[in-house]
Amino acid sequence: MMQRHLILEDGTVFQGLGFGAPATTFGEIIFHTAMTGYQEIITDPIYDGQMIVFAMPVIGAAGIHAEAYESVKPTISGMIVHDLAEVSVNRQRRMNLDRFLKQHNIPGLYQVDTRQLIRHLRETGPQKASIVDYADEHAIDQLVATVLTNKQVQNTATPKPYANPGRGRHIVVIDFGLKHGILRMLGDYDANVSVLPYTTTVEEVLTLDPDGIILSTGPGDPRTLPESVLTLIRVLQSKVPMLGIGLGHELFALANDAELMPLSSEHHGMNHPIQEIISRQIFYAMQGQGYAVDANSINRKKLFVTYRDLVDGAVQGLRHREFPAFSVQFFPDAAPGPLEATTVFADFFETVEDYVEHYNQ
Amino acid sequence: MLNITTNNKIKRVLFIGAGSNDFGREAEHDAAIYQVMPELRGHGVEVFLIDENPYALSLESLAATVFWQPLTVENLKKVVHDNNIDTVAPLFGGKSSLRLWAEVVQSWVHGDGPVPNTLGLTIDMLLKVNNIPALTSLMSDNGLPVINNYVLKAQDEANELLRELQLPLMVRALHPNQTNTRHVVDRLDDFEDAIHLAKLQSITQEVIISRAINGLKEVSLEVLRDFRGNKMQIGASEDMDPIGIHTADSLSVSPILTIQDQLISQMRDYAFRIADLLQLQGVMHVQFAVDDDTHKIYIIKVSPYIDQMATRMSLATGYPTMLVAINLAMGVALEDIVLPHNFGNNTAMMEPMMDHVVVKLPVFPFGELAEAGVQVNRQLNSVQKSIGTTLGFGRTFIEALEKAIRSAHFNNASFSPTNMAHINDDELIQQLIHPQDNRVLLLIEAIKRGYEIDELAELTAIDEFYFHQLQHLHKLEEEIESDIDSIRSLRRGKKYGLSDGLLARFWHTDFNIIRTLAKENDINVTYKAVEPSAGEFPENARQYYATYESENESIQINEASVLVIGSGAFRMGDAASGSYATAIAMSELRRLQYPTIIMNNNPSDATLLPHLADKQYLEPLEISDVMRVVELENPKIIVIPGNRRKLIKALRDLGQQVMVLPKEKHTPNGPNENQSEFALNIFYDGQKIYPINLTQHMAGEIRIVPQVAELLHSISQSRIDNPGVYQIIWYQDTIHWLKNVDSSDIGHNSWLRPMPFGQIAYMTKVMQIPWIRLTVRAALNELSKQDIEMLTTVNQLPIVHQLSMVAADVNYQLHLQPSNVIDGTRFEIGVGVNYYER
Repeated sequence: MMQRHLILEDGTVFQGLGFGAPATTFGEIIFHTAMTGYQEIITDPIYDGQMIVFAMPVIGAAGIHAEAYESVKPTISGMIVHDLAEVSVNRQRRMNLDRFLKQHNIPGLYQVDTRQLIRHLRETGPQKASIVDYADEHAIDQLVATVLTNKQVQNTATPKPYANPGRGRHIVVIDFGLKHGILRMLGDYDANVSVLPYTTTVEEVLTLDPDGIILSTGPGDPRTLPESVLTLIRVLQSKVPMLGIGLGHELFALANDAELMPLSSEHHGMNHPIQEIISRQIFYAMQGQGYAVDANSINRKKLFVTYRDLVDGAVQGLRHREFPAFSVQFFPDAAPGPLEATTVFADFFETVEDYVEHYNQ
Repeated sequence: MLNITTNNKIKRVLFIGAGSNDFGREAEHDAAIYQVMPELRGHGVEVFLIDENPYALSLESLAATVFWQPLTVENLKKVVHDNNIDTVAPLFGGKSSLRLWAEVVQSWVHGDGPVPNTLGLTIDMLLKVNNIPALTSLMSDNGLPVINNYVLKAQDEANELLRELQLPLMVRALHPNQTNTRHVVDRLDDFEDAIHLAKLQSITQEVIISRAINGLKEVSLEVLRDFRGNKMQIGASEDMDPIGIHTADSLSVSPILTIQDQLISQMRDYAFRIADLLQLQGVMHVQFAVDDDTHKIYIIKVSPYIDQMATRMSLATGYPTMLVAINLAMGVALEDIVLPHNFGNNTAMMEPMMDHVVVKLPVFPFGELAEAGVQVNRQLNSVQKSIGTTLGFGRTFIEALEKAIRSAHFNNASFSPTNMAHINDDELIQQLIHPQDNRVLLLIEAIKRGYEIDELAELTAIDEFYFHQLQHLHKLEEEIESDIDSIRSLRRGKKYGLSDGLLARFWHTDFNIIRTLAKENDINVTYKAVEPSAGEFPENARQYYATYESENESIQINEASVLVIGSGAFRMGDAASGSYATAIAMSELRRLQYPTIIMNNNPSDATLLPHLADKQYLEPLEISDVMRVVELENPKIIVIPGNRRKLIKALRDLGQQVMVLPKEKHTPNGPNENQSEFALNIFYDGQKIYPINLTQHMAGEIRIVPQVAELLHSISQSRIDNPGVYQIIWYQDTIHWLKNVDSSDIGHNSWLRPMPFGQIAYMTKVMQIPWIRLTVRAALNELSKQDIEMLTTVNQLPIVHQLSMVAADVNYQLHLQPSNVIDGTRFEIGVGVNYYER
């Protein structure tokens, strides 16, 4: 393996060995503390264009599994780990993490002092980074001059509608960079799913006569999306039960006049206690967020807070006072992550059943 | 803590100690109790403790009223009555305490008054946890995947059942009269014998039969639950060795590396559901069998109490499990737990994450026994054979493994590259299928001989990952061996945890040369903190391990610190007494206000209690490991057990001030069956010798002779190097307990030795005189005037407790099947106490 380097915008350089593709890439660098689910994480579209540093010291030992894809094609810009394991569980191809990244033209770096890197990033917050062969001044200048894309949703969301048919309730998913876990959960309820691009219209959605709507997860800053998305949400939330997840939650908040704020330190992991305010119950879930809804900006006549993170106090869930619409910042699809969070889907389908029953009467 | 309203019905709490050390019972329970008792006092509760183990640290705690008595139903009941105990805390004493308390509850009669509450569990659940079939059906009824158990009384019932079940089968005793009664039956021919044996091991002559699940992966999760039903996962590990080998005898790895998220999340969910079913307020260890291919999971064991997994995970993650556990038991909600200020604000309710790998290796007694001519059954199976554990911390599996091996074997001779060369291919395959204690070395040998990984994985039921890793290690070693004195190789070797000693072996040189070479080339050790946020938050960490990375986090704590070298894994003949002695020494150093640092690697050892040291290095204890810590901390004094002669010499040669805790390398043979061993016990304070008393040792029992000890002959002080408790030993042919000893023989057929730590523990408790503390004070010139006055008349003082120390009843036959009788004095595992008038 070849010696390569990770360079950060602030001029810090880390040395390591390259794996995956020998490409030079740029991206925002964040760290992840989850100890399981590396495959789900690197294939999750929410990390589009980002470089992920894993705190988990050994990555790759569980192989690459057919059932652990969160998107068919990963779009992260790099992966930094301490130790890389070469294990394959694929029956057809000897597919391990190294080969997987090569196939998708994503560079990786290992034998990095990732603990030092994480301790550094926890102080500086996310910044631009690049995996390069030579860490000279030129490379750093180039990194500083690079403007990263803010079109992550456009990069990952479907441009065309498609269906994931089932025999149960009809759920429309509006795709902002959907992860498979949401479809898997809907499959557990045998939902009849239509996935629509985020450029869809109220007319198109209502023509499908859905029993419920999900605003999907997705990457990046939701404020870069067109105003039409917020209008779409405002109209639909008053008509059909709605669940927003991750980016979908942030959009739901924005559509209801709340504001977002960047977190002082991005949080990616599954070890923070999340409390359901009404019951005081604590549970854990996969979280990945650079932004949070500013609790002070919430219009209490429209929304109320349902969940919060007990570590940083960040808002983790909202519910509309008038409409059957709610949202969660964390990922309740448990792909990866604790199963206890999946009750959010049970709540959603209960709301859907109430809605259907109401109309049938 | 003080402001929190807890259950105000709890006023007088009795802890039940774990009793004598045994297979699977080291010092973890004693350490847990010692740690939580002061915490409970902080809740305004009166604390009591009953235990019989002379090595128990907690029996010397100032936080509780203690009862040093044999652990019997009668004694327990009496303590409860006499002290108006309203609540009993058996969960910290582990399974044996739980079993004893359940016996007391079951024998409770109307006239005994109200049954005290059980801290952390309801009485109903306490009884269920003690009854495997009842617990299994509770889980099964609630849709949890358990392996069905069939309870049988008669052989013909068993034969009938055999038609329905597939081999292999697991046979064990219901209501067992001993700790481990499991037998795996692979062949029909063995079935009857197994049933017969299990019946004998059952109090009710009943046998449990279930499907054996050999070959699947074994996974352990540690979870907790508060009274509101909030649950959290606080640790997880996978065994490299498959089910069929007792988990204590397996190589275990944390975090789980080879199992995908979906399966781990499923297991977590099952563990949480069990905690809810039991309405537990505390911590719980759940063991699973996992089939990677079919995604099938079975729950194989539920332990809602403190065990070795609990202490190991606490050390591996830095999560303060014991402090949290006592709060949960007292009814404090997870979000309200306040930890000491060296922890982060939210540490109690954040699931601990790891950015290092911890490998646990078992330590077996086979080598020591073989030296004494005792052959035992070395084949690993579902009955525990190991007697100790060590941990290796590293940033990779290989580094952690290398460090665990060095910790377990104390020197690299047993990990020599040529160690397994003599074994032929047939034997190799036989041992791959039927593993022994040398398992890891054998796997490496198989790789050296070019066996294919998938072939090996098939034969051993070990995950391919581990073979890839061992192959990597093998290649690395080959490269290093052929690349003598190369700095690049040295750097790589150090990065993967190879010791200076091992590298010196490869390059046919001395470890000091390697050390110097590394230093000259800036290959420097870096210490990383063990803290539960994996770098996400700044934590005021106190635990560190060595690795070779870019950033070092450990800085010298004080210019006048004391470094204490622990004694590593428990071994036969040493048992828990080394842990006791070192922990007391540390406690005394803290009282004397020395900043203390401990180096050790045994997760069950009391020396690694968080409040006994300002800093912990979780490291192997070879000279090179110790030297690196010494260079960084530059301690004023190094405290070291007397049996580490080479290390003592090396440190002295380097000008370090060493304080020796006098200790022999091996406990010598005890008296034979027609003899008594007598000892004139003395204390040496560095200047003067004080007679203490006389003891008689006969067939696994030691008593104090009721006679004033005098120094009839002068003892040459030049024979004693360091302050401490010593004894002059002689033998007499008598099998009666003597009231008077003719000590005129002393000086002829007698010899001097340091008093074994075990006897010091006993003497401390019997006389209520803190001998280890006095030793520490003497060594540091801190003896007070009162101390000297006491020592001058110590031989006149009455005995406080009329108790003898007796060897515990350890079932060697079950665990080891030895060829001849094991000398209980030399190979002692645990001890208890008895009344003289027995």
